[in-house]
Amino acid sequence: MRILNALKSDVKFQFKQGFYFVYIILTLLYMIVIGQIPNKFINYVVPIVIFTDPSFIGFFFIGGIVMLEKIQGVLQYLVITPLSPKEYLISKTISLTILAELAGFAITLVTYKDSFNWIILFLGILLTSIFYTLYGFIVASGCNTINQYFVKMIPYLLILIIPLLVYFSFPNITVLKAMPPVSGFNLIYGAFNGIKLIEALGYIAYMSVINFFTLLIVENIFIKNIIKGGAL
Amino acid sequence: MIKVTDLDFSYKGSKTKVIKGINFHIKKGEIFGFLGPSGAGKTTTQRIIIGLLQEYEGSVEIMGKERKAWGREFYERIGVAFDFPNLYLKLTALENLQLISSYYKKKPQDMESLLERVGLLSDKDKKIDGFSKGMKMRLNFIRSLIHDPEIIFFDEPTSGLDPLNAKIIKEMILEMKKEGKTIFLTTHNMTVAEQLCDRVAFIVEGKIPVIDSPKELKVKYGNQSIKMEYYEGEFTRVEEFPIKGLKENSRPREILKTKDIKTIHSQEATLEDIFIKLTGRKLV
Repeated sequence: MRILNALKSDVKFQFKQGFYFVYIILTLLYMIVIGQIPNKFINYVVPIVIFTDPSFIGFFFIGGIVMLEKIQGVLQYLVITPLSPKEYLISKTISLTILAELAGFAITLVTYKDSFNWIILFLGILLTSIFYTLYGFIVASGCNTINQYFVKMIPYLLILIIPLLVYFSFPNITVLKAMPPVSGFNLIYGAFNGIKLIEALGYIAYMSVINFFTLLIVENIFIKNIIKGGAL
Repeated sequence: MIKVTDLDFSYKGSKTKVIKGINFHIKKGEIFGFLGPSGAGKTTTQRIIIGLLQEYEGSVEIMGKERKAWGREFYERIGVAFDFPNLYLKLTALENLQLISSYYKKKPQDMESLLERVGLLSDKDKKIDGFSKGMKMRLNFIRSLIHDPEIIFFDEPTSGLDPLNAKIIKEMILEMKKEGKTIFLTTHNMTVAEQLCDRVAFIVEGKIPVIDSPKELKVKYGNQSIKMEYYEGEFTRVEEFPIKGLKENSRPREILKTKDIKTIHSQEATLEDIFIKLTGRKLV
């Protein structure tokens, strides 16, 4: 029940802070840009856009939300309510993942005319969004100002982008598939271009395990840096 | 309600103790003032009791259980109003209360009554970023009460308030005491402490040199006297006489008989005077 209330609160906060407005504008922009691309590239462009949308938006939005809560001092108050760190993190992650799913499916339905695998797409966006939101939280938890956050996020972002870029150039390097961004991308790409069931199940299981452990790590960071570390 | 025994604390990475073996006991229904200058250890002690700092030595027993043994349910039973208003700026006053109250199991108190009590009912649907500091502080204050907690921690509750609103807040604190709530008041405002607290603890450099009621402290450490101001030709002169032994002192009577009196005042040491006397420090 409390987590549901936390989710309602997060949605209200994100709405009032204008996050949804930004999200709608971005989604419309994506749709317009994809609309200009020749049909023969759509099979590649749509999965790339759908992948970057939940991942990058989740990563940036969670940073913005946590920094706003820190600057307004709200986070300091939340830690002395019955809301647990895990509930706090799960609620934030769900709220941004719902957005990512809505935007991902909206872009797909408007711009992609062929058939695609709804379930794989849903799971691909879900697992990617959860990972990037939690990852973004790691960056934001150690920062006290927006400037600090902007500086700190660059190396964190590169850690995830570089393996993906290398994978695009050298898709045969198997070890890269174990990187969460590559796994997430392959799932979303597979939803549009086909993927073996066993491979999809492998990515889903792998990403679920990664997300579970990332949640535990982030919860630990939250308790250590924010509750006990006096970072508030 | 709260029993602190031989409490020591130093921040991680620092060898210097910021809390040095303090002891105090707060009874149910008591307003306990924690007074000291900035950096004395007030906030650190409060954070330890609230549970935000856990690597302490000694014992902090609260509501019959060691603080470290409490889980999140602890926060159902306490309320905290920090010394700066940490509110959702883009939400309205009422939305701020509703949002926080949704995290508690208990049915919230009547929010409109609370808002009315602190003069914010007509502003309930206004966003916080248009509020003055005083309005934010009042909302911050009532937010700590919406879940009807048993122990309430107030940090400088009247800071930034005009005298009228400060009076309302002080009256509310006294009403809570009557209802049996236990109140931990952290302040460097000696007047507020004197008006509200059953007992006060002076904390300086992580130590508590004295705990007593403001009245007892005044009797023990204050020098009560009478100050007489009178005219002498074109000048005004002042003389002060200790109350103790006043009836044997002929000089005040002589002044009354022979001089034109300008003012007569009884002089009492303030809590601040006593603090300075006992600790050698000012409350800045």
